[in-house]
Amino acid sequence: MKKIIKWYILPLGILILSLVAALFAGSKSISVKDIIKVLSGGGSAFQKVIIFQVRIPRIIATASTGAALSVSGYLIQNNLNNTLASPGILGINNGAGLFVLLFACLFPYHYAGKCFAAFIGALLVTTAICILASVTGMSKTSIVLSGVAFSALCLSVIDIIISLKPETVADRVAFQIGGFNALNINSVKFAVPFIIIILIASLIMAPSLDILMLGDDVAGGLGLNIKFYRAAHILFAALLSGAAVSMCGIIGFMGLIVPNVVRLFYRGNSRGGIFLCMVIGASFLTLCDLLGRSLVYPYELPCGLFLSLIGAPFLVWMLIKKRKRLGMA
Amino acid sequence: MIEVKNLKTKYSYGDEFSVASALFENGRISGVIGKNGSGKSTLLKTLAGQRKYEGRILINQKECSEYSSMERAREVAFLPQSVKNLNMDVRTLVEHGRYPYHGNFRRMGEEDEKKVNRALELTHMKSFEKRDLYELSGGERQLAYLSMIIAQDSSMILMDEPTTYMDRIHQDEFFSILRILVKEGKGIVMVCHDIEQCFAYCDKIFLMEDRKLEYAGTPDVFTQNEQIIRRNFGIAMKKSEDEESVYPFVMKK
Repeated sequence: MKKIIKWYILPLGILILSLVAALFAGSKSISVKDIIKVLSGGGSAFQKVIIFQVRIPRIIATASTGAALSVSGYLIQNNLNNTLASPGILGINNGAGLFVLLFACLFPYHYAGKCFAAFIGALLVTTAICILASVTGMSKTSIVLSGVAFSALCLSVIDIIISLKPETVADRVAFQIGGFNALNINSVKFAVPFIIIILIASLIMAPSLDILMLGDDVAGGLGLNIKFYRAAHILFAALLSGAAVSMCGIIGFMGLIVPNVVRLFYRGNSRGGIFLCMVIGASFLTLCDLLGRSLVYPYELPCGLFLSLIGAPFLVWMLIKKRKRLGMA
Repeated sequence: MIEVKNLKTKYSYGDEFSVASALFENGRISGVIGKNGSGKSTLLKTLAGQRKYEGRILINQKECSEYSSMERAREVAFLPQSVKNLNMDVRTLVEHGRYPYHGNFRRMGEEDEKKVNRALELTHMKSFEKRDLYELSGGERQLAYLSMIIAQDSSMILMDEPTTYMDRIHQDEFFSILRILVKEGKGIVMVCHDIEQCFAYCDKIFLMEDRKLEYAGTPDVFTQNEQIIRRNFGIAMKKSEDEESVYPFVMKK
């Protein structure tokens, strides 16, 4: 019972609190009473627009992006037994960035399409990594190396495009800081259902992640189809970060910090780990976004900045406090 | 029971590994010995279905490659030479031994719990079940992994130098656990490092030479043809005449 409160009810409580806080705070102050009125069907037309078309989509986007990036990082780290791995290491972010840039060159005024391009880029890079890695043997090292290779390749093509067409740079910079100030409601409609489906799938398949962590020889002896599950988990990770990148640009640190924080205080199985990454990632990013848009009002800071600003010292502090081995490095 | 006929498998660098015929029976401990690089680990991995092969490997009368990976894991358990030191408690590790039965979708049932508890009791690791793997000594960790393999409850158990990190007392305990398993009808195939120990505990010995399985027989057979062991290890084995010696067979010059 104590376990359920500690690992389920407490994190869920934090998530609900942060979602509610994000709903009540914003650049246009609406009283708690009014918000409840709007939610129950009343309120003025203006208030309705603010709540239903600005705040709620934004909360949904931050929460699902936080969950998606954290779980993506967790899947990749456990899969490769490397706590330093993240979607960034595998070149998924750069792949998404490259496709956004390419799209911006070809169709400069098509905003929703850019999100889709980020998504396709993440997918293509991951597919390429998986094909390359399976040709070279699908070992953990070959996956990371293929990722680094593709990451460098994408980056060099990005640089070529910038050199030839410098006018696309402004777009790219905005995209790479990562934030929700220019959130497009179509990309939310597209990405969020997708993220939810993949999160559920990775929760279902979590036991195979536990077995993979035992190493290839032991996992094979336990009857796990190693190639299939390794590819599946990497694909899930790519789809999750692709979907997240398509909404908010590249928030790189998320996939690194949340799984490591979860791993510092939670030692159970992967299903619990994925659940905690989801809930903590969602609350953390929602709170960062809330800070970003309320702290320096009327200006807005991208939540990616707050994430690193709070997250990095927090991770260091936890590492010092725990001081024990991370367990897998 | 694992029956091997005309088995061949290739290394990535081109050398060939072959076994003309061999029989690993239930109710026995089969020891595999040989020089470093003679193919002992390859033999085990191939029998465990971890390598592509030509020829036949019959696991309980059915071809190894015809099993699905989960079905195979219910017949053959495999403990590799090096195991990971993870951020995971002993009980969780042992529960993973039940993966071939419940897969991704089913929860641990009563039967699973029973097998896990039995495995932990057999290896005397019950009191360690809440401890983390990285808090254990090398030998204890090996016992934790052995418990996982026991919980897997397969008819054959393949182990690659399982006693490497154990002190003498743990090694003796380890072999007495194996005896219990063998009495229950399980078949054990293990790669051995210590030849005296292998002669003492194994019912049948398989000698690997130049990536071929060349000789198989009881310890007595190998003491009678002493040049086979001498050729590979630079020593020979003889029956001990000293009543106080630890092992029934001892090394001689």
